[in-house]
Amino acid sequence: MATVVWAAPDIAPLGSYTAVERRHWAFQPRKDVAPPVFDDAAAKAWIRTPVDAFVLAGLRKAELAPAPEADRATLIRRVTFNLHGLPPTPEEIAAFVADKRPDAYEKLVDRLLDSPRYGEQWARHWLDVVRFAESDGYEYDTHRPDAFRFRDYVIASFNSDKPYDVFLKEQLAGDEIDPKNDTLLVASGFNRLGPLRKNAGNQDVASSRTEVLTEMANIVGAGMLGMTMGCARCHDHKFDPIRQSDYYRLQGYFAQTQANDVIIASAEEQAKYKATMEPLENEMRKLRFSMRKASEEDKGKILTRLEEIDGQIPLPLTAMYAVKNDPKEMTPIHMLQRGDYRNRGAAVGMRPPGILLPDGAEELPLATEKPRTRLAEWITTAENPLTARVMVNRIWGFHFGRPIVTTPNDFGKMGTRPSHPELLDWLGNEYVRQGWKMKPMHRMILLSAAYRQASVSPSEKAFAAKDPDNKWLWKANRRRLEAEEIRDTMLAVSGRLNAKLGGPSVMVQIDPELIKDLKRPQYWVTTRDRTEHDRRTIYMIYKRNLILPFMQVFDSPDTLLSCARRDQSTHAPQALELLNGTVSNDLAIAFAKRLAGAPGERVDMAWRLATGRLPNAKERALSLQYLDDPDPSAMTEFALSLFNSNAFLYVN
Amino acid sequence: MPEHIRFARNRREFLTDCFCGVGALGYASLLGAEKARNPLAPKAPHFPAKAKSMIFLFQAGGPSHLETFDPKPLLNQLHGQKRPDTFGKVEYQNVNQNSRILGTKRTFARYGKSGLEISDLLPHQAQIADDLCVIRSMYGDMVVHSAAQYQMMSGRVIPGFPSMGSWVTYGLGTVSDSLPAYVVMPDPNGAPEAGQPVYTNGFLPAVYQPAMFRAGKRPVLNLEVPKGISMDRRRKTIELIRQLNEANMAEEDAEFAARISAYDTAFKMQTQAPEIFDLSNEPQETLAMYGVGQPDTDDYGRRCLLARRLIEKGVRFVCVVAGGGGAETEWDAHSDIEKNHARMARLTDQPTAALVKDLKRRGLLDETIVLWGGEFGRSPESERGSGRDHHNTGFSMWVAGGGFKGGMAYGATDDIGLKATVNPVHFRDLHATLINQLGLQQDALSYLHQGRRERLTEVHGTILKDLLV
Repeated sequence: MATVVWAAPDIAPLGSYTAVERRHWAFQPRKDVAPPVFDDAAAKAWIRTPVDAFVLAGLRKAELAPAPEADRATLIRRVTFNLHGLPPTPEEIAAFVADKRPDAYEKLVDRLLDSPRYGEQWARHWLDVVRFAESDGYEYDTHRPDAFRFRDYVIASFNSDKPYDVFLKEQLAGDEIDPKNDTLLVASGFNRLGPLRKNAGNQDVASSRTEVLTEMANIVGAGMLGMTMGCARCHDHKFDPIRQSDYYRLQGYFAQTQANDVIIASAEEQAKYKATMEPLENEMRKLRFSMRKASEEDKGKILTRLEEIDGQIPLPLTAMYAVKNDPKEMTPIHMLQRGDYRNRGAAVGMRPPGILLPDGAEELPLATEKPRTRLAEWITTAENPLTARVMVNRIWGFHFGRPIVTTPNDFGKMGTRPSHPELLDWLGNEYVRQGWKMKPMHRMILLSAAYRQASVSPSEKAFAAKDPDNKWLWKANRRRLEAEEIRDTMLAVSGRLNAKLGGPSVMVQIDPELIKDLKRPQYWVTTRDRTEHDRRTIYMIYKRNLILPFMQVFDSPDTLLSCARRDQSTHAPQALELLNGTVSNDLAIAFAKRLAGAPGERVDMAWRLATGRLPNAKERALSLQYLDDPDPSAMTEFALSLFNSNAFLYVN
Repeated sequence: MPEHIRFARNRREFLTDCFCGVGALGYASLLGAEKARNPLAPKAPHFPAKAKSMIFLFQAGGPSHLETFDPKPLLNQLHGQKRPDTFGKVEYQNVNQNSRILGTKRTFARYGKSGLEISDLLPHQAQIADDLCVIRSMYGDMVVHSAAQYQMMSGRVIPGFPSMGSWVTYGLGTVSDSLPAYVVMPDPNGAPEAGQPVYTNGFLPAVYQPAMFRAGKRPVLNLEVPKGISMDRRRKTIELIRQLNEANMAEEDAEFAARISAYDTAFKMQTQAPEIFDLSNEPQETLAMYGVGQPDTDDYGRRCLLARRLIEKGVRFVCVVAGGGGAETEWDAHSDIEKNHARMARLTDQPTAALVKDLKRRGLLDETIVLWGGEFGRSPESERGSGRDHHNTGFSMWVAGGGFKGGMAYGATDDIGLKATVNPVHFRDLHATLINQLGLQQDALSYLHQGRRERLTEVHGTILKDLLV
């Protein structure tokens, strides 16, 4: 680790980078690659879209071969979950299986991409990356009742196929682009998504400000650039060529950035709020004034009263959570020894990470106008070697279950190297060339032969021995549904799903003991309209200090740090949740009620709804045998069994 | 080969090397295969361990060192005066330059063969003086609750990092097949300031999250079969699930096999875990020792007794929380420290001592670490007349059992308890020492997350050899 001299200099050096440091693959410009060309008939027959050529080249080099195409029923279930996070209905499956047109699958993909369900599913991935939540975290975990506007902005952006460069610019600098545009103001709330520490007695503004700036800078590094900039907060990065000065120069772009709640409450609401707040504020002002000369005893009483008042402050007025630049309140940015705000080192301005610039590139002063627009423009230039690669890698990963770089937030030395570097570059070039649009990328990937493979290979054992992680894609990866998908699918299958789009987040009824986990339990107010409780999980509240147990056991992220890939763990509490939890049991009752007819018909209907296919002979026999029982709870328990089955929880 | 789990399916199918484990931890080969099916299967420590399990008696809110384990006669002499400049500066929440030193009303005496000094606030803990290794020179980086609690529990001042319990479970797995590996018993009055994230697995896989044993009629979530469903019916349902899942399973499908064994474990938990809560088979003498049945001590006494019962059954890490739901119901004595601490001591002192005694007489103390303490101590100056503010620059915690020396006080604060001056111990040093006793090496117990090999100790903690037998 390089030693930093903290007494001097006053200005941090602009820095230089060795040839070895610059050689790292991810910092190289994307190569202008063409898909490999094959002469043989087998290859020509298999390849459907350009990505297949890259995949096939990898397979052949590893002496592997692609699996045959999955059957229609498997394919529609896979692609529907992939794009919507919901199962296809039995009717949709039957129609697709029967559709003999040569472009039936293309039509299916287009239909799915055109549905608003697509935005709901893919927004979830982005919200994981940017650690979206609807409360501050820390002690008070204060609610952010208007945070849903950002969630809806992300869903709408995916649904309208907003170009990714625009999407990033709006989030980083929406307020600078047009301070009168509500959508852009909401988008700029991106800069405020991180956890926020507020303390009643903590007067330490400098400390809090450092944390705020840290949150703003870190997410740009991990989420947009795939660089673990956060590691350089305390010292030069141990593995990557990121100097501590690079880190603070990135923070420099946010030196003028302040929170800005743009009130949109009605005049009436504002008046009511003012009427409640004014006396409280007056009293607080008086109390604080009298504190100066108060005795020890009186001071105690004053502080107690101040805390009482704090508890009486009403929920904030309806607002858009935005940011604004306030040059007067600009924070001078210094390198901080061990990241501690009390140990200030050299001052810095703003500049992108030096490894991506020529040696000695100048920094800009902190007072530069529209600083975040500058950052956003640099990030989204076509030549930026990271931005496009990082995003196409995420897209690829969410389609195949395995990204090309398996550490999507870390393209540095500690991250993994790409399995298909040429493919990654080609995808990046293609992404930029067609205007940073997602849907054409989805289409190209989903229509590929690689994507359409079955999840079992005829040479399963031999290939698994050679390539146990399926790095070369010799078959499709089976995946377990994610927490949201499991709940949404149970809702859909039981006929209870409320398909309403957007709007304020829903709080469902939960065990009162769970609410005690909150320092301020009064924040948990069960949504009165019960039909709201059956909405898609993305519309449930994501509260930092109270992750719902159902979500927690199925690997939902904690929303405190960026989550690039969710785990897919298997453990007993999942079984207990699905067997005994209220979510699955309530919906099993609804599911069972939906099933009608003779036992054989009910069994077939249940399987088609829950798993997208008819049961095989053995499954049918087991199901009928179980239902051959006078116990009135047998039907509900059968429905619950299906929710617990692999055929329901996994997608092939 | 420990007989910790009997699987329904035959072992042959799972000895394939299809999951890569955490290579650095070097398990025995069979254990590696076990892990493919059960990530919580016991793992060999990095080196021979002194202790197998740990109980953390988390005193939320920050108990005063000045009223418990760190006698400061000078404090009473300076009562009512401003703090002399010679002690240096510290940063506080509410205490400022106008604040005055607050003497203590507690009196200290020497206890046990060791003559360890303990205040009259804790008469029961005084009886176990010879088992206590008091660290008087603890310090942390944060003076506000949430951030200090995160640091105490996870080594980091921000949320999102794994707690001690999750790290230990990640490193060692568990030998219990019917109970969770890591249990937290929160205070029924409510959460501490740091909330749910303080106990959780952070970025470690979800299997390492704690099981919360809450107050009320349903202490463990989802352990009870829903109303109207008979146990017999449920048994048939679980059998159906197994048969359906096996009907479609290829040989050597480790993930699906793991799912089947998760249902086995779940069923065992469902049938066996409730026994843990049934204290009726405990002798009256034991119940009385923990104060079960007495109004003040019943709740904490039960939870401490449960901690022992869990440890006996092989649970790896238990956290029993005293304090939560606001300053009045935790050790957060901003006003009237006497009233606040007298209450907290009345609730917790007897059960705390009982736990250590009980573990000892059962021969479990040697292999169980008991840690007592909070996120910080309290200020030498008064706040609101007779209270004390948060105080992170010097305070006390204690450790018992698990290869720690008893009857000793380690390190020291200055003459008014303001700063740790002799052998200061940071949380990361304590963490390093605790996991060392569990056979875990702080650099090997790591997890790659976003470009860093994250560790409990963040950078590097010093193992406190002087504390160890």
